Amino acid sequence: MLTFAEEILLLLGDEEGVFLPVEEHAFECALAGAVLMDLAFAYRIDTDLEKLVAIDPAPTGNPMLDRVLEKIVARTDTTDTRTWVGVLSREDAAVLREQALESLAGRGVLERRDGRFLWAFGAVRYPALDDGAVRTIKARIEDVLSDDIPHPRDVALISLVDACEILPDLFPDRDVAAFGPRIALLRRMDLIGREVAGTIADIQRTVVREARARAARFQKLLLVLSAFGGLGVAATLLSPPIPLADRFGPGLFESLWYDGVWKQWSGYLLLGLSVAGLGVATIVKKRLVARIAGSHGWRLFHIVLGIACVLVLFAHTGFRFGANMNAALMAFFVAALLSGALAGAAIGGTPRLRKMGIRKTGRQNRLLIGLHAVAICPLPALLIVHLLSVYLY
Amino acid sequence: MSPKIVPWAVVAATLAGAAWFAAAMTVGGDRSALLIGETTDAHHQIELACETCHAAPAFASAAKAEKALNRACRKCHDKELKAADDSHPRRKFRNPRMAVYWEKLDARLCTTCHVEHRPEIVRASAVTVAMDFCVACHSEGDQDVRAERPSHAGLAFDTCASAGCHNYHDNRALYEEFLVRHAGEPWLADAPAHELSARQRVRKRPARAALARGDAVAPRAALADPAWLDRWADSGHAAAGVNCGACHAPKAGKNATRETVEASWIEAPGTAVCEDCHRPQARTFVLGRHGMRRHPRVAKPRDPLRQLRKIGLSEFVPETVALWLADPAPPTTMTVAEARIPMRSDAAHGTLDCGTCHTPHAVDVRHAAAEACASCHDDPHTRAYFASPHHALWRAELAGEAPPGTGVSCATCHMPKTERRGRIATDHNQNDNLRPNEKMIRPVCLDCHGLGFSLNALADGALVERNFTGTPAVRVESIGWATRRAQATKREAGG
Repeated sequence: MLTFAEEILLLLGDEEGVFLPVEEHAFECALAGAVLMDLAFAYRIDTDLEKLVAIDPAPTGNPMLDRVLEKIVARTDTTDTRTWVGVLSREDAAVLREQALESLAGRGVLERRDGRFLWAFGAVRYPALDDGAVRTIKARIEDVLSDDIPHPRDVALISLVDACEILPDLFPDRDVAAFGPRIALLRRMDLIGREVAGTIADIQRTVVREARARAARFQKLLLVLSAFGGLGVAATLLSPPIPLADRFGPGLFESLWYDGVWKQWSGYLLLGLSVAGLGVATIVKKRLVARIAGSHGWRLFHIVLGIACVLVLFAHTGFRFGANMNAALMAFFVAALLSGALAGAAIGGTPRLRKMGIRKTGRQNRLLIGLHAVAICPLPALLIVHLLSVYLY
Repeated sequence: MSPKIVPWAVVAATLAGAAWFAAAMTVGGDRSALLIGETTDAHHQIELACETCHAAPAFASAAKAEKALNRACRKCHDKELKAADDSHPRRKFRNPRMAVYWEKLDARLCTTCHVEHRPEIVRASAVTVAMDFCVACHSEGDQDVRAERPSHAGLAFDTCASAGCHNYHDNRALYEEFLVRHAGEPWLADAPAHELSARQRVRKRPARAALARGDAVAPRAALADPAWLDRWADSGHAAAGVNCGACHAPKAGKNATRETVEASWIEAPGTAVCEDCHRPQARTFVLGRHGMRRHPRVAKPRDPLRQLRKIGLSEFVPETVALWLADPAPPTTMTVAEARIPMRSDAAHGTLDCGTCHTPHAVDVRHAAAEACASCHDDPHTRAYFASPHHALWRAELAGEAPPGTGVSCATCHMPKTERRGRIATDHNQNDNLRPNEKMIRPVCLDCHGLGFSLNALADGALVERNFTGTPAVRVESIGWATRRAQATKREAGG
């Protein structure tokens, strides 16, 4: 039998092994909740209003579940469900995800394919070898969302799917808004064995609440930062060049824009920020930044770097696009910043867009991120030409 | 196209582009896409001959690169600055005693005030600093202009060069002593005429006999067109005894026969033929905007093989590839369409060489002096000329109704006559006295007008645009101030 975590991952992946652009906070909360639910169904943990405790430390035989169980057993202080969902989603989500994917690959449901993007960046995909499993899970959900009498595991799975807000993507041809009352009813139904009913219900509530709360906080911050960056890019595009003073004498802008030393400082700072932004988004996001800044700090940090790029770009150019090769470099750089800001705003604004009735945003978000990547591609070559032209002439 | 190919296609295209531009920068090829901004004035004509100005070796330090740039400025402009008796010569500021001013405005370097490829900061006369730059040195200490001149007390520093009083380099007609000497002159001289023009018009022709229609020595086919023959017969060339072979068959020599002329006949001779006889004109033509692409200081196209040797790649790049990378052949002449001032659209394809103004078979300097200019230039000043008093004088002179030298054509002011070793020639460097326009006062305006009137007229932009039809609405105070100061000094000395 598949674990909840494996089922969720199967639902999120497509036949090419590309995952739906699900809100990552929600996904990580769902992943943490999925493991806790499996442990509850295996009679290993119990909850009450104040704490989540291990009632049976015996291993389940599943490495992923046993790892979490060991962690719960090892903890001596009083810790409630909410805290565990938070801890697991922050500290263990990446590992849980990898373990679940490897488990699916080991069972022959998925295939692990190691590839590289532009030779430089590692990329692992898990395309489905057999889409029968996915179809079965979807059919279970669809049946439960109809009027069928649900199985307790299906109820739990639906709560995880709901937490991830992927119902619109799973059933693009259905009016998912109509599922709302049914999902609420399912949550209230006493369908689970008395021993675990309270635990599962507690985990369900906590996962959904935590996922939505954390997602909302993150998305709000993401939206604000992206909007700030977008305004900066709009100013770069629309503002006329800042005129210079008609009075002779040293001026800050004159120094910034026409003094070779200052130009080099701002230019290399811009280069450093761009490289850092690229590094954060490609290499570091899964490793270093996840540890030092939380699992989603990398994205916020990436946008902060983008905003810094806009400010330093102003210091370097004063809204002047230049001519010929310089204009091309500036155009691609601004395009990269603008597509990045729009992608950030789109991801951050997803809940608002959904409230406005715009539900299918995944494909558009992916398109904006793709445009962001394409706009970045010419920059190294253009920068080399720019630097060479400065030092050769 | 598969979406996966898109990033690869973009990367491949940009890497190919980068390689192309790297080759263009280091070996040879079209570098127009590398220009970071428009150049000032007529420099656009030579902006792709990058090494003319960017003469420092690759990856030279900023100081060396700046030094090389300034040396390039001086190579082309030093002579005219010397001729202008430059008021702020470089040598003055190289003196260590002037070090206090280097921080304020480093006048040792041309690039302090004239930066290229930055069109957004270019002001009048290609200046790229704020126009009140005089304040840097003349607002305090010994050099404070207001200390000794009460007349300057309320004046803003951005009016120094814009009010018709001072120029940074050329003050030949603006310095105090000159102003005092010419104070009180009437607006028009008693016998207004351009002396050198008058002398040239009445000069004796060379002793050689003038040629007539029947004297033309040329292949029969060339003589078949009577119109060409008539134009030549009426031209200055025929009057000076210059036969067809002199231009079309220079190798045939002076005593050429029809056979020898036919043997070495060139259908369309180049400007080199003109330059053989008209050396002073050719020498000055390449110094001006019309001919500056052939200025001797303009860098020649790079030799790709030599460039490859310099970067150590000559052994790895086949010669055919290297030659394919060569710089595009630079045009030797500018087309009218390339000009960045208002020009006639119907003249767009015209090129600028001797024949543009001096129709080869009807060498008519009267046409070249005015109508030829208006056949390309289309600015208000040019258009207004034909209704101006100057043009009326020119027509009167051409009609024989006024003495030689009294007419004023475009060339009279913009290509004035010069005398060297007793020979009078037309200065074909038409921007020698163009800007600032006070440069025109001594060689041109004062021939007919008083200094006061000239200063006022040249300072009145609207009057200049109307080609001096009317009277100046601007009054330049400098003569009055200089006169009063001289009188006061005299009184003090006397008392």
